[in-house]
Amino acid sequence: MSGLYGTLSIALSALATSQQALETTSNNVANANTPGYSREVPVLEPGAPLLFGSLSLPTGVVLDKIESLRDPILEIQLNQETQQNSYQNAQLAQLQQIQTGFSSATSGIGADITNFFNSLQQLSPDPTNLALRQAVLTAAGNMATDFNTAANNLEVQRSNLDQTVVEDVGEINTLTAQIANVSQQIGVLQNQDESTGPLVDQQTSLIRQLSGLIDVQVISTGQGGIELTTSNGTPLVSGIQSFALSTEVGSDGTEHVMSGTQDITDSLTGGSLAGTIQIRDQEIPGMLSQLDQLAAGLSNALNAANQEGYDLNGNAGGNLFSVPPAGGTGAAAAMQVAITDPSLIAASSDGTPGSNGNLANLSAVANQNVANGETPIDFYASLVSQVGSTTSNTSAEADASSQILQQLNDQRGSVSGVSLDEEAANMVQYQTAYQASARVVSTIDALLLDAVNIGLDGTEQ
Amino acid sequence: MRVNPYPMPDLLAALNQAELEAQQDMMEISTGRSVNEPSDNPVAAGLLVENNDEATFNAGYLQNLTTINGQFSAADSALSSVETALQRAITLGVQGATGTLSDSDRTAIAEELQGIQSQIISLANTSYQGNYLFAGTATGAPPYVVNSSDPSGVTYNGNNGVNQVSIGNGYQIEINQPGSQLFSASGNSVFLALNSLIQAVQSDGDIADAVSNLSSASSYLAAQRVFYGNAMDQVQAQTTYLNAAKTQIAQQQNSLAGVDLATAATNLSSAQADTQATLAAISEFSQMNLFDYLH
Repeated sequence: MSGLYGTLSIALSALATSQQALETTSNNVANANTPGYSREVPVLEPGAPLLFGSLSLPTGVVLDKIESLRDPILEIQLNQETQQNSYQNAQLAQLQQIQTGFSSATSGIGADITNFFNSLQQLSPDPTNLALRQAVLTAAGNMATDFNTAANNLEVQRSNLDQTVVEDVGEINTLTAQIANVSQQIGVLQNQDESTGPLVDQQTSLIRQLSGLIDVQVISTGQGGIELTTSNGTPLVSGIQSFALSTEVGSDGTEHVMSGTQDITDSLTGGSLAGTIQIRDQEIPGMLSQLDQLAAGLSNALNAANQEGYDLNGNAGGNLFSVPPAGGTGAAAAMQVAITDPSLIAASSDGTPGSNGNLANLSAVANQNVANGETPIDFYASLVSQVGSTTSNTSAEADASSQILQQLNDQRGSVSGVSLDEEAANMVQYQTAYQASARVVSTIDALLLDAVNIGLDGTEQ
Repeated sequence: MRVNPYPMPDLLAALNQAELEAQQDMMEISTGRSVNEPSDNPVAAGLLVENNDEATFNAGYLQNLTTINGQFSAADSALSSVETALQRAITLGVQGATGTLSDSDRTAIAEELQGIQSQIISLANTSYQGNYLFAGTATGAPPYVVNSSDPSGVTYNGNNGVNQVSIGNGYQIEINQPGSQLFSASGNSVFLALNSLIQAVQSDGDIADAVSNLSSASSYLAAQRVFYGNAMDQVQAQTTYLNAAKTQIAQQQNSLAGVDLATAATNLSSAQADTQATLAAISEFSQMNLFDYLH
């Protein structure tokens, strides 16, 4: 529109736009501390000019859109690093629990083994002494009990992790359903050509939470649609539909993660669920197997040595410990001292009670390669070192990944974070623009009044 | 470049880290150990298991050395008494060999010799802490019983067994001499010689010959007795060695896991200073922004 009314309408568009810009600024300030919020900037464009023949008339300013500032590459990096960080931290927590069972060199299985062999040494100068013999049985009992306890603790931990797997899958399903829901809402708003900033923030935040649990890959399919899959392709969300995972007890007695009928337990590579599965299915069974090896090796060697001698009654020696299960699995949990009568320790090599000749055979087991080609104490020392270095390495990786996450979050802050100084400056800017346009309106108002009064000489009001 | 407007999480992370280090230093000082978990120092954690094994066995060997030394000492002391008794018997025998003794004199000598015989049987049956020292491995019963129908006057109920005890890694020593080697060795039997002397004196037989046999048997016994002297020397040498080793093992444990308190205290103060500095930085962190200046 041309003329004064045209000018007026231009000024009005500026007032409206300044108001909307101030609204955006106010929204940013209100959300300055909202986690995951991406600051919004109003994108102002000159209004499309009106064309009258060869004349092109301006139409003021238009708020094209409210743009959320975020860096999609950073979001991908944050998701990946979150997966890595959660994976490491989930394992670290479990490993720290495991290693408390191996923390002391003066108590625990290693010390028990040492004390047992030492009790045999103490018996040798006085082999008929019943108190010293009882001390051997007591030391043997302590050793067996500590093997039982260590194995049981690991089993309990494993079964707790089973529960964690089920809970994690439940949480994953809740999140994927929420993501699908938000995606649907985003789609609706986009069709209406409306700003989707806060919803996209919400979607991003949900995906980040999901990354804490599972190794999710995000593929944008355009028009705001997204596909979420695990890194090996298992579908989680496709467009507005989510695919729930389930858990099923497998043939090994543990909970398996299923996508439909496909078992994806071993294919997860990031997030806390994968970390939990790694400990449950690799670390803990590995430790149990080593404890079983040691328990079985010791039991078998000591039983064989005892059978080479004679007890206090002149009878051939029997088993000192219960015979380990065939194949060795469960040896640590099942280890027991097989005798309660101290006279049954076969110390004698010639049938007389006063002979200590077979104690040498029993003691020699301490220097035999009873497990994995190592002596009992060497094997246990290696085990302790191993637990320590696995835990220490995982801790270092978790720390490194936390540092990276922190840096990435800093970068995200610098792109998307609300700066109160900036918003204050913007507010001043939009306020001034509003004031200027308001002044234009009052000027036009005065001019219109003059125009209306053209031709009047002041006598008609 | 636009600055991250919200650095608080970073500051809090730094504070957390400083506090964590202070906590770890405090743990080290209060436990006196730098290795409280295997992950603190995985290699040292493994070595500490081995070190504990060495320390325990070291103490065990030292304990055994004390025990067997008691046995050696008791045995040696009994044998010393036996030698003294045998010397008296030889003196009596020499007296008896002079041709000028009356029947009653010889009877008196024979009686005293019988007394010595009983004494030596009793000494040969010495027990220590409930075990008979000269019975071989049949330590549950006295090795020698009186048997008047045997030319030696006794029967040996012990055996030839010898027990060994470890007093160091791979280091074993024998801890007993059976009676059959000391008192009733074939061809050198003290009991046979003594009983023969008694009979010679009683029947006025070849006393000089009997004295001579007793004298060689006595020398033989003295030579066998050296076993116990040697054993006690070995005990002493090994005890000295093990005590030195004990110190080394303790030093090794300290170097693996011990905390130098002075260093740890310094680390703690510097960690605490870090914490204070970070706290001060956070509190100084300007909460002012442009809004405060607009009117």
